Amino acid sequence: MLKTEELRINIGPQHPSTHGVFRMLVTVDGETLVDLKPVFGYLHRNHEQLGEVNSYLQNMPFTDRLDYFNSMINNHAYARSVEMLAGIEVPERAQYIRVIMDELSRILNHATALGFMLGDMGAWQTALLWGLREREKILDLFEYVSGARMMCNYARFGGVARDIDDYFITETRKLMDGLPHYFDDFEGLLTNSEILLARARNIGVLPKDLALSYSVTGPVLRASGVPYDIRRAEPYAVYDRFDFDIPVGTVGDVYDRFLVRIAEMRQAYRILEQAFQQLPEASGGHINPKVKQQSLKPPIGEAYARVESPKGELGFYLVSDGTGNAYRYKVRAPSFINLTALADMCKGYKLADAMVILGSIDIVMGEVDR
Amino acid sequence: MTLANRQGTGVVVPVERNDQRFRAGQGTAAGLSIVFRKFRKALFGKPNSDRSDTEGQFNVQYPEERLALPEAYRNMPILLFDDATGHELCTSCFQCERVCPPQVIHITQAKDPATGKPVPSAAEFIIEYDTCMSCGYCAEVCPFDAIKMDHDYELSTSNHPELDVNYNRLLRPVSYYETIAPTLWNDVRESAMKKLQNNIKRRPGAIGVDHGQKVGAKAAPAAVARPAEPAGGGASAVAPAAKRASVAAIGKSMSEERLAKLQSIRAANQSKRGGAGAPIDTAHAVEADVAVQPSTAQVAAPDAATPGSVAPGATGPVAAVGTNMSEEKRAKLEAIRAAKRAQEGE
Repeated sequence: MLKTEELRINIGPQHPSTHGVFRMLVTVDGETLVDLKPVFGYLHRNHEQLGEVNSYLQNMPFTDRLDYFNSMINNHAYARSVEMLAGIEVPERAQYIRVIMDELSRILNHATALGFMLGDMGAWQTALLWGLREREKILDLFEYVSGARMMCNYARFGGVARDIDDYFITETRKLMDGLPHYFDDFEGLLTNSEILLARARNIGVLPKDLALSYSVTGPVLRASGVPYDIRRAEPYAVYDRFDFDIPVGTVGDVYDRFLVRIAEMRQAYRILEQAFQQLPEASGGHINPKVKQQSLKPPIGEAYARVESPKGELGFYLVSDGTGNAYRYKVRAPSFINLTALADMCKGYKLADAMVILGSIDIVMGEVDR
Repeated sequence: MTLANRQGTGVVVPVERNDQRFRAGQGTAAGLSIVFRKFRKALFGKPNSDRSDTEGQFNVQYPEERLALPEAYRNMPILLFDDATGHELCTSCFQCERVCPPQVIHITQAKDPATGKPVPSAAEFIIEYDTCMSCGYCAEVCPFDAIKMDHDYELSTSNHPELDVNYNRLLRPVSYYETIAPTLWNDVRESAMKKLQNNIKRRPGAIGVDHGQKVGAKAAPAAVARPAEPAGGGASAVAPAAKRASVAAIGKSMSEERLAKLQSIRAANQSKRGGAGAPIDTAHAVEADVAVQPSTAQVAAPDAATPGSVAPGATGPVAAVGTNMSEEKRAKLEAIRAAKRAQEGE
């Protein structure tokens, strides 16, 4: 019998497959992963303290920098929590605009996340560019409407910064015409690909009960078979008016996460279609004109508002002491909480699988470290 | 059914894993067929200019070709001055300084030298471009429409202090902003000009028209390297490199022979460029003078960009106008331009 010894390896913080500055302290026995310790904090930017120093409006552009793929959704979540705190009403049209931006953002995020995950599997760049192609067009739309591609800073308290016009709607319609073909191509290229099957099926299984006890949310939780979606569980904005299904996985492996994300893109497309149909009937303008933006002083109290971000439950908790800036400000970042389950997902698999599993969680370090 | 009563439906759908139907090689074949289809389109299909098309080539040869920027595009803040009177629109009300999230705007209010009382004009205005997060709040809150977001994104420099941009280099004529965001400016023009006229009455002497020249005189020479740019934005892409470099410091800590070598290289470069070589410092002085009076050449610039026919060599924001708008907006823009042409023709 050969005597073996366990070996500890550092992966990261500067490593192409760690999606940012993230370090995994890995113990391996041969090729098999025995233990994994995630180490983060390298990208800490003091976001929550800044949120307590800045005024409520000033904090909005900082939320762009959390999950920089989905600044539209971050803005929405933050605006919602301030609106809840100050009791601000949002016009119907603004709600629809927010939903449209959220769903575009979801397609963008999932396409990119899948691309990056396949990049981790070794399909370096090719699959990623498939994801980035659609992202590029959606970013053009965001740029048109908000002025910036990634750091949109689009939501305001009681609405959004600028109304969408006919040009935006026709361009989005044009983009949407191509989307089903895009999903088909994406799926046809990859779903049954032998490489993907070999690297993803029955890898990184996260059982249902473990996922629940880790408080994992988003596609990772749904891939484990829990049909939990905040758009359904606690409908916000106007999500209760749309028909959409909740795709869930059966096994909870990397492959299920892949399939759930593709299915969610299709559902996002469905919601977009309905939103554009209902938008002309919506009442109100793009913003509630009565709301003070700069000098907003919500009454004393606390609020927690959450939205279904493409990565999971994104929540902002605010405590107001009646002044112009928050007394306490806390972000419930989905990436951060999903990442804590990484160790249990990786144990027992091969070292090379750890990258793929990490990619399948879809993390953004800007959100994890804040 | 009304919108508010609408109830969405939906079910939980387990995703199809295709476990039973899976055959070896099937996925690769399906994938390759898609790859070949795309490949054929990329090779033999016609290149697409419309980015909403999903197939074909979408290459943009960057420095020569640029994508059109939407009017709302925001990069870095600039300050506007009126073409006709030369008066700056800024009244130093400190709204932008207060709202700025990273707090990079620094304003000093102008004072009447005779009475010592504050005047609605800024004596000094500094924005730290290196820390600016381009959120656009300053432009949003400005009640006088004096601060706007520029479209120029080619701002890289090797001289870091240059990024503390002072009043001189923030100022742009209104006609420049009109070329990059015609409809946005048209919406606010009347009220902005009205407010400006009111403020001009409260500005004694040359306050408000000096374009911060007194600031420039005090500042280090490096900071004056790029004075208020003429209209057209494209100008910055033409020859910024020669203006910016401040080479005076180089050569101080060098050995004699290396210095000689450097000088010979410089001389060779100079002759290659064909210039007998006006020393850099005097070039600055000349440019600073130009910036003082808003020349007629600047005002003429917007007419060059008619929609559809972009002048060759015109890059950046000018090319963008008119190509990226809704029909309604384009019509509005046409009307504005026609009115302007008629006015100038008189």
